[in-house]
Amino acid sequence: MANIKIALAGNPNSGKTTLFNALTGSDQYVGNWPGVTVEKKDGVLKGRKDVVIQDLPGIYSLSPYSLEEKVSRKFLVEENPDAILNIVDGTNIERNLYLSTQLAELGIPMVMAVNMMDVVKRNGDKIDFGKIAKALRCEVVGISALKNEGGLEAAEKTVDMARSAEHDAESGNRKVAEVPHVFSGSVEHAIAHIEESIQGKVPKRAIRWYAIKIFERDRDVIKDLDIGVGLMKHLEEHIRDCEKELDDDAESIITNQRYDFIKSLMDKSLTKNEKRRNKATLSDRIDKVVTNRWLAIPIFVLAISLMGWLAVVPGGDVTDWANDGFLGDGWHIPFTTHEVDGNDWETAQADFAKAEATVAAWEAGEKKASIEDEETGEIAEEWDIDEAAYNAAKKAKEPDPRQFGVWVPGIGAMIGAGLEKLGVSETVSSLVKDGAWGGVSTVLGFVPVIVLVFLFLAFLEDCGYMARVAFVMDRICRKFGLSGKSFIPMIVGMGCGVPAVMAARTIENKRDQRMTIILSTFIPCGAKLAIITMFSVLFFRSQWWVFPLMYFIGIAIIVFGGIALKKSKAFAGEPAPFVMELPAYHMPTLSGVWRHTWIRTKGYILKAGLIIFPACVFLWFVMHFNWSLTLLSDEQLDQSILHDVGSWLAWLLKPLGFGSWQGAAAAVSAEIAKEQATATLKIVSIGMEGATGGARVQNLFASMSDFPKLAALSFMVFNLFIPPCMVAIAVTFREMGSKAWGWIAVGFQLFVGYAIAMSIYQLGMLAMGCGFGFWTAAAIIVDLFCLWAVFRPGKKFKVVSCKLKGES
Amino acid sequence: MNASSYVVLAVVGIFFALALWRVAKKGAPCECGGSRKACSRKGGHSCCDCCGE
Repeated sequence: MANIKIALAGNPNSGKTTLFNALTGSDQYVGNWPGVTVEKKDGVLKGRKDVVIQDLPGIYSLSPYSLEEKVSRKFLVEENPDAILNIVDGTNIERNLYLSTQLAELGIPMVMAVNMMDVVKRNGDKIDFGKIAKALRCEVVGISALKNEGGLEAAEKTVDMARSAEHDAESGNRKVAEVPHVFSGSVEHAIAHIEESIQGKVPKRAIRWYAIKIFERDRDVIKDLDIGVGLMKHLEEHIRDCEKELDDDAESIITNQRYDFIKSLMDKSLTKNEKRRNKATLSDRIDKVVTNRWLAIPIFVLAISLMGWLAVVPGGDVTDWANDGFLGDGWHIPFTTHEVDGNDWETAQADFAKAEATVAAWEAGEKKASIEDEETGEIAEEWDIDEAAYNAAKKAKEPDPRQFGVWVPGIGAMIGAGLEKLGVSETVSSLVKDGAWGGVSTVLGFVPVIVLVFLFLAFLEDCGYMARVAFVMDRICRKFGLSGKSFIPMIVGMGCGVPAVMAARTIENKRDQRMTIILSTFIPCGAKLAIITMFSVLFFRSQWWVFPLMYFIGIAIIVFGGIALKKSKAFAGEPAPFVMELPAYHMPTLSGVWRHTWIRTKGYILKAGLIIFPACVFLWFVMHFNWSLTLLSDEQLDQSILHDVGSWLAWLLKPLGFGSWQGAAAAVSAEIAKEQATATLKIVSIGMEGATGGARVQNLFASMSDFPKLAALSFMVFNLFIPPCMVAIAVTFREMGSKAWGWIAVGFQLFVGYAIAMSIYQLGMLAMGCGFGFWTAAAIIVDLFCLWAVFRPGKKFKVVSCKLKGES
Repeated sequence: MNASSYVVLAVVGIFFALALWRVAKKGAPCECGGSRKACSRKGGHSCCDCCGE
């Protein structure tokens, strides 16, 4: 049986992709802001292998003004789908019908699925499907895509329609769907003339659509049809007569009459709940606060800060458990722990650590022993020691966790025990434990926090809040010549930089598109989240605000970087217009939020196995072999290949506070995938002291700088704001359209990352009284240059604002 | 090195090669919400080809 092609078409944010996923079982990303679907996607209808459903980008009309409109129009007109499933937002049916009238003119069998009927019913509104069906000559059904109600029935109806048209095709007479006539007599007269003139030049079924487009003087259509000058001159006479009679231009005549038709149709078929008619909806009332001129930004800051607090304070404990417990040595099942000799597990461990410190200090000839604070690196406790204390400490036995409660061995411990049981050599054991598993487990250890943050972001997205962020940003940034369209990719970029760069395609203006591509990856993505979490937990546990600060720095770079770029010749110009429909707030469904979270988390876990694992094995090898390929011990790592390569680059990073071969190796390897930085740090800190991987990393930074926290902050900022991972860079080059622009993007990002990291470290050192040096001066000059680039006089932009009816 | 060391090393090597082979064949795993399998069915090589959000 021949394949049936069904096009899923409708306005942006009307629920097409939600329905597409429900019908095909796909997991395409669903977002409640415009521009989520840029390219068409196809899937097979569940249980019907012969039916292919094409999810088209959301469009408001079939005019060729935006990329989405071009993609959808090209498909509908040229690829001739067997039927159209037109999704219409029932809560905004009047506006949605504009596209529906155009789709009906294509002569393709159409089923209109009025979505969000659950909300329509809840609002007490009534829609007469029969009247709409009669007026638009199509079938109309009510559905709720989010609740998975009616979607399949609508699809089945569309398949039936397509099939009946297909049967006619077999007989040689393809059935042309009835098309509605929505215009006044004189316009219909002119269209009829055009139809007559273009017969045979266009497919029979779409002749009316072509005729209307010619009436509108659609350049693309006239060009494609290759209408001769003589014929066009003849048609122009009819069009001009009509324009003269109605005293308007052809395009406006068509638009106005379409709206007149829709209005009269709505008067007959839509009954609004009288009680709600003039009453502000709950969304309106929430928006009065959330998008308020003064409250919008503090609310956004509060939301991201709450996310940061969740990730570091409760999330930090979960990360510790995941890294040191579940994936590391092991953990006690809660509520099963008890004291042994008056000590709980933590006290017994601390006592043993003190005994070890006493033995080490006495054997080193010291008279005092001390223990450092893991987070600050400062001495937490210091005590006098003598021979008696040394002898007592030497007898201390490492506490057995199994005595303190029900102990579950961690995966790391099990791997270690397994290797020991097999009698594997120390080198191979180190490769598996410290190299492969050490790196992979570091990345996997952040999964709980990643899930937590993604759940939070998915909730903000699904309830409709994130769409408001772009709206609020547009209001502020338009004054500086930036468009809110540039912030849609930023929101997408919180998940991954790749679709963020691709989302910039929706910006028609090439200058703004390039600028958005350069800036959108500054927002921390899911992979960078691992870096932020690692450093927040290891170095800034008591300063949880450092976590959200990284997001605010990212946003600040996007805003100020945009302002600076807009003042350069290459990017100057009026900002792209931004039309955005704010979705009504609603309580997200559990399955929807989980879907968003799982899609992103799954990718993160897969990367740990496919990218991080081989990279860690490779790193372990280049760290444990010299150029003569001789195996090195942990004490000889300064002769390794990685040491030499890292040292060649380390001098570049000296002004940033982590100019060692380990710092260079971590920073460079992060270009494979950003979370690789966390894994590499664990691997390159093998030679450092420390009971856990985290403690080794802390000691690594202490060895690189007298101000480990400052160096850690600088390292984190550098890795977050230099160019993104290799995949995202490749997409940047592709989307920029030329190598030169690709290099400009990468160069700009490298400059920004380096400049911010250098400023933080150098000015931080200056504030701590380390004196004024060459690099301090360099940092100040770079900062002054950045300030000049942002605040230098530039072209003033007109701020166009419009008030909606009824708005005070 | 003893026999079990060689066995463990071989296992690591096989996984290493499998991971590289898969990445070379299908591209980096997709973190952006697109279906990587669907992408490769359509001839895509990396998430950039299939996640056209």
